[in-house]
Amino acid sequence: MKSTRNWLIAAAGCLLFGCGKDSNSGGSTGNSTDVFKKNMLVNYADTLILPSYSDLQAKLILLETATEAFLAAPSAVTQQALKLPFKNAYVSYEGISAVYFGPGASQQLNNTFNTFPTAVTKIESGIQSGNYNLALVIASDSIQGFPALDYLFFSANAVQQFNGATANNRKKYVKDIFARMKLLLTNTQNQWAAGYRDVFVSNLQTNVGSSIGSLVNQFAFEMDALKGPRIGWPFGKQSNGIVFADKCEGYFSAYTKDLSIANLTALKKYYTGGNGNGIDDYLILLGKQQLNSDVLAQFNLALNALNAIPDPMSAAFTSNAALVETAYRETQKLLTLIKTDVASATAVQITYMDNDGD
Amino acid sequence: MTATKIPSWQRPVSIAPLVTFRIVFGLLMFGSLLRFVLRGWIDTLYVQPTFHFTYWGFEWVQPFAGAGMYILFGIILVSTLMITFGLLYRLATILFFLGFTYVELIDVTTYLNHYYFISLVAFIMIWLPANRRYALDTLLWPVIRRDKVPAWTIGILRFQLAIVYVYAGLAKINSDWLLHAEPMKTWLPARSHLPLVGPLMYKSWVAYVFSWFGCLYDCFIVFFLLNRRTRPWAYAVVVGFHIATALFFPGIGMFPYVMIVATLIFFSGNFHERLLSWLPGYGGNGTNAKAYTFSHPRAIQTVVVIYIVIQLLVPLRFLFYPDNLFWNEEGYRFSWRVMLMEKAGTAYFTVKEAGHQRATSISNATYLTPLQEKMMSTQPDMILKYAHYLQQDYLKKGWKNPEVYAEIYVALNGQRSRLFIDSTINLAAQPLSWRHYKWILPYK
Repeated sequence: MKSTRNWLIAAAGCLLFGCGKDSNSGGSTGNSTDVFKKNMLVNYADTLILPSYSDLQAKLILLETATEAFLAAPSAVTQQALKLPFKNAYVSYEGISAVYFGPGASQQLNNTFNTFPTAVTKIESGIQSGNYNLALVIASDSIQGFPALDYLFFSANAVQQFNGATANNRKKYVKDIFARMKLLLTNTQNQWAAGYRDVFVSNLQTNVGSSIGSLVNQFAFEMDALKGPRIGWPFGKQSNGIVFADKCEGYFSAYTKDLSIANLTALKKYYTGGNGNGIDDYLILLGKQQLNSDVLAQFNLALNALNAIPDPMSAAFTSNAALVETAYRETQKLLTLIKTDVASATAVQITYMDNDGD
Repeated sequence: MTATKIPSWQRPVSIAPLVTFRIVFGLLMFGSLLRFVLRGWIDTLYVQPTFHFTYWGFEWVQPFAGAGMYILFGIILVSTLMITFGLLYRLATILFFLGFTYVELIDVTTYLNHYYFISLVAFIMIWLPANRRYALDTLLWPVIRRDKVPAWTIGILRFQLAIVYVYAGLAKINSDWLLHAEPMKTWLPARSHLPLVGPLMYKSWVAYVFSWFGCLYDCFIVFFLLNRRTRPWAYAVVVGFHIATALFFPGIGMFPYVMIVATLIFFSGNFHERLLSWLPGYGGNGTNAKAYTFSHPRAIQTVVVIYIVIQLLVPLRFLFYPDNLFWNEEGYRFSWRVMLMEKAGTAYFTVKEAGHQRATSISNATYLTPLQEKMMSTQPDMILKYAHYLQQDYLKKGWKNPEVYAEIYVALNGQRSRLFIDSTINLAAQPLSWRHYKWILPYK
């Protein structure tokens, strides 16, 4: 009896010690054994994230060319020629908005490119005095990036302004905005190329700052931004139902709807990983087929609800409130699925803090 | 010796286990708190938040302003070294207990079972004569040196560890843990990056092995530690088990190391004498064989018995609440429920003025840190505290009788999220209570 019990205990001890030692010997060498996750992250980096940055860079250059023509001869015609390149560049930006971690975050890309609403008064006083600092981190509203261009190019008397007394200052301001955007975007691309890509594809953990952790957390954050600043807040969800139409994204160019659809479409593409492995395939690997198909269905419901809102969305906030409300609800359902069910199923953590596992 | 007249719990035994415990506990706390400070958590947890989830009855425990929290941590850090070196031991243990417990009482968000354990152990240590040998105190006042202490002074620490393990084990006897291997089945695939064992993390049977082994370990390890013959093997299992948990679940922080160090108390006086004899200046036995005695043994006996009864009962208070414990979390804290569930939630709060003149949806990030929001979203008492805080905030903004509603979705142990509380209930009108919150929706 006694010897049997001792033997059992010894065996248990060996099992556990063996377990501990095996795991220990590899330690943090990062020698991954999970081919699936590695392939998924390579797919994210090489076929989604990096091409999206390149696309934005290309679209910015096209917009800059059109801008130069506009600034050389500001008129309704050259202004009209700006619209499509502006839309294309802004839509392209929505394709990188969700990857706000690593170099993009350290370069304050989203903060610089797309903090809205536009700080019209601050922009005008900056142009008047020639005294402004685009390198400052933006707190609540923005004097630069797409929201500033949106105002400068497409506000009611934009063309007159570029022919008015402050025309030279105004043109310099526009050029400074472009310089800032291109600098930060190039820095981001360089940092990805200079080593972050390799760090990204070889970090297979799910804690804070890990690649999968960052992806899922940013999906949730981006969904939250779609529900709040993009739709809910201008719609009056935080202001007792009083609509603040001019607080929406792309208010002056009236591309609000296109931008929110581009944002959600990009998010869906990041979720599915495009043609390669994405979070959807990871959920299937984890045996969560039903959750995955529900998330995909909810993406479509939310996209359809957004599509049903007539342009311009800033007017629909009052004239088609029921349709906006539906889109808001569908977006919230999708946010819940991602923030609760997907984050839980993938065991993604949101903070560095120690936990009891609950 | 008049052994027949001394009850076994007062029998004089070697002081060595207490001395080892004092030294390693002090050092571990020093390292643990230093890690806390260096990770910038004082700022994240106690300086940045504008609102804290206080414990009921401890609303007066608030973080100190300015450099206050850093000074407090400085004092606690010094006290850990004083404990290790046995300098002004009684003062040091009181400082450590009060300081550490104060910090833990600031915010429910940071509740961890092993922080609670540390507070309890610190409280016990105040009363133990752990500085009567191999301490700066005995250098300064040689007359206080004792080589023997009453057996219960070591027994009470063993009892405290037994409580942790056995209750942690009993908590694992539930269908999620044993029959569905949750949350292991959810957590292990997240560890697939580990070398060699990585690919196994997707296997369902591995999750079952982890679950069942963890349950059996927690339930029975204490009994093997108590038995002299099985003790060395059992301790090897303790070390192996906790190193494994540290590797697989680094998120649990210092807990594995606390247990590895604390379970040394199960070893005999002789073992500890030999262990300590490796340390410089640890004199041999017998120079002062006088046993330490408490001046009021009757009173001490009563207090110890009361403490033991409380420790046995507190983890069982969940029995007074209906429905699923993991869902309601009523009676969940202070009960040694560790690593038991994967629970996540998303909470949408709306504040409405009475008569609904005004309404606004709340952005939780304006009031809470990400950790606070995460913890609040799944725990009813925190939801209620937050709702009351929102009510106060909107009163200050000039709203008349603000009502607070919450639409909250919670996912538990691999199941899909669903509505957690009654979203039509005005939480501002619901009182904090020890009784069951009827606004929590039924689990099934």
